[in-house]
Amino acid sequence: MIKLTDVEKVYRTSTIETMALSKVNIVINKGEFVSIMGPSGCGKSTLLNIMGLLDEPSSGKIEIDNTLISGYADKRLAHMRNQKLGFIFQSYHLINDLSVVDNVEIPLLYRKGVSGSERRKKALEALEKVGLNSRTKHYPNQLSGGQRQRVAIARAIVGNPEIILADEPTGNLDSVMGEEIMNIMLQLNKTEGTTIVMVTHDENMANKTERVIRFFDGRQVN
Amino acid sequence: MLKNYIKLAFKVMLRKKYFTFLTLVGISFTIMIITITAAFIDQIVGASDTEPNRGRTLVLKEVFLMKDDRGRPDEVSLPFLQRYITTLRTPERISIYRDGGYVSARNGVPRAHRLKYSDENFWSITNFKFLEGRPFDARQVKNASRVVVISEELKDYYFGEGNAAGKIIELFGIPFRVIGVVKSAPLLSDAGSDAWIPYTADPAPVPPPAEWPTIHGQYKAMLLARSGEDAEKVKAEIDARMRKIVPPNPQFTSVKANALTALQHFAKVRNSDPDPDFAQLFTALFACLFLFLLIPVISLINLNISRISERAAEIGVRKSFGASSSTLAGQFIVENIILTLTGGLIGVILAYLFSDALILMLNAFDPLFQISFGQFILSWRVVAFCIGCCCFFGFLSGVYPAYRMSKMHPVNALKGNNL
Repeated sequence: MIKLTDVEKVYRTSTIETMALSKVNIVINKGEFVSIMGPSGCGKSTLLNIMGLLDEPSSGKIEIDNTLISGYADKRLAHMRNQKLGFIFQSYHLINDLSVVDNVEIPLLYRKGVSGSERRKKALEALEKVGLNSRTKHYPNQLSGGQRQRVAIARAIVGNPEIILADEPTGNLDSVMGEEIMNIMLQLNKTEGTTIVMVTHDENMANKTERVIRFFDGRQVN
Repeated sequence: MLKNYIKLAFKVMLRKKYFTFLTLVGISFTIMIITITAAFIDQIVGASDTEPNRGRTLVLKEVFLMKDDRGRPDEVSLPFLQRYITTLRTPERISIYRDGGYVSARNGVPRAHRLKYSDENFWSITNFKFLEGRPFDARQVKNASRVVVISEELKDYYFGEGNAAGKIIELFGIPFRVIGVVKSAPLLSDAGSDAWIPYTADPAPVPPPAEWPTIHGQYKAMLLARSGEDAEKVKAEIDARMRKIVPPNPQFTSVKANALTALQHFAKVRNSDPDPDFAQLFTALFACLFLFLLIPVISLINLNISRISERAAEIGVRKSFGASSSTLAGQFIVENIILTLTGGLIGVILAYLFSDALILMLNAFDPLFQISFGQFILSWRVVAFCIGCCCFFGFLSGVYPAYRMSKMHPVNALKGNNL
């Protein structure tokens, strides 16, 4: 599903060069739930951004669904993200000016041929899956952290992406809420077969996934 | 998607109240000035209920005694028009008229009024709405009948409520019988006046000028062409007539009389130019408009750039979920156009209100000549033009910030980093 070959990421300024990722080789199979662990600054989020086509590697290859992603223009990358990927962020990144249901509709706005009513229907279905169908007209600042993250999950799954990339999805939540979010993701992986890659600091959460990939100083250590 | 943009645009406007207030003040003030200017120009050149055929109505108001290619313009004499213009074959209808004025006094307070001297054809070329009575006819013009058609404002001034038809008003101390009351024409319209009388009944004729009295005078002619295209035929016939005239003095080589539409008259850069210059007019108008918009556009660009920085995370989210740079740029431009359109709408309303204040001011400066409030008319053309200006304004001030926004790296945007 996702294949990274010799991926490196170097951040350069005029005076300093920082190696964020060094010779990373990872294969994530279809339907897998993989967690990426490591201390802060070890390159986990950089790796997730590269997998999510939000950032480019300095060298190496990325393949998604056996398609080499190389030299893609902005539009093509955007289309790829829209069709294949869903994102869940630690700080939710919901748009406060939009209602819950409008937030969930966002990925479908950029999908051709989806009418307004169809968009609304799919958004409501996604909210139902995360148990938030009673909060559709609310605004993000009227919700608890756990509810916001559930909205973010609904937004990530509304377009039925094959891959979900979650960057510390439970990082801002207490253990009960974190558990709740983790269960939703496990359920998604199990029932829908969605491939999930999750960055986490939490060993307990990581242990619930099928595979743990560990990082240290930009290198894969297992 | 557009519905979503519109919804978000209003949400953002309400969220940033101070920013929105500042922006709307700038835009609405700019659009107010543009609206008032456009409304004045529209009154001068555009068709209205009273002059629906302006596109095919030619006005001949100057005759040029030419010396080689240069000529000196002067108003036209009645005999000249009667001999060379009223006998033209190509126009559908021809009217001769002149502008004048008179002063009345009520309760010791003097007041100036516009007075038009015209023939009977004037009423069939124009389309005044008669609230009472009827226009004067050919017989009354021929007999120099002392009859007058007045505007509804003048009726109110003289008679207040109730009918005016059949009543008498004095012009230059001579009684004239009111035979009609019309709805007022726009303030700057060529056909507009406070009162109209048959030109033959002129109670205070102006003596002909000492120099070439057969050519120069104070009259104008209104020529209604059969169609917009036929206007050229009318002009050609006039040219042919003019070529046959022997100039009254050997120092002149020819006589030229240009019948032009209101727009063509407006497009003459200098009054002495015999021909309109549309390229120069439109360049000048566009340059003025652009310069006038430039300062608010620059300040809106600056405000927009700071606003985009505040929305960095949203940009990151949208990019993550499949928005391309061009889609995001489009969204921001649409949002900005909605903002400028809102400001523009306020500007048009302000222009309408300010026009009353402007008339009050003008009336205070010249108490003798009072303009009535109903004469500032905002046509749909002007409103459409202002909407166009708002869109242009919105596009101009949105395109650069939108470009910068769309180029934001999604990872930086998600971290909330500035541009």
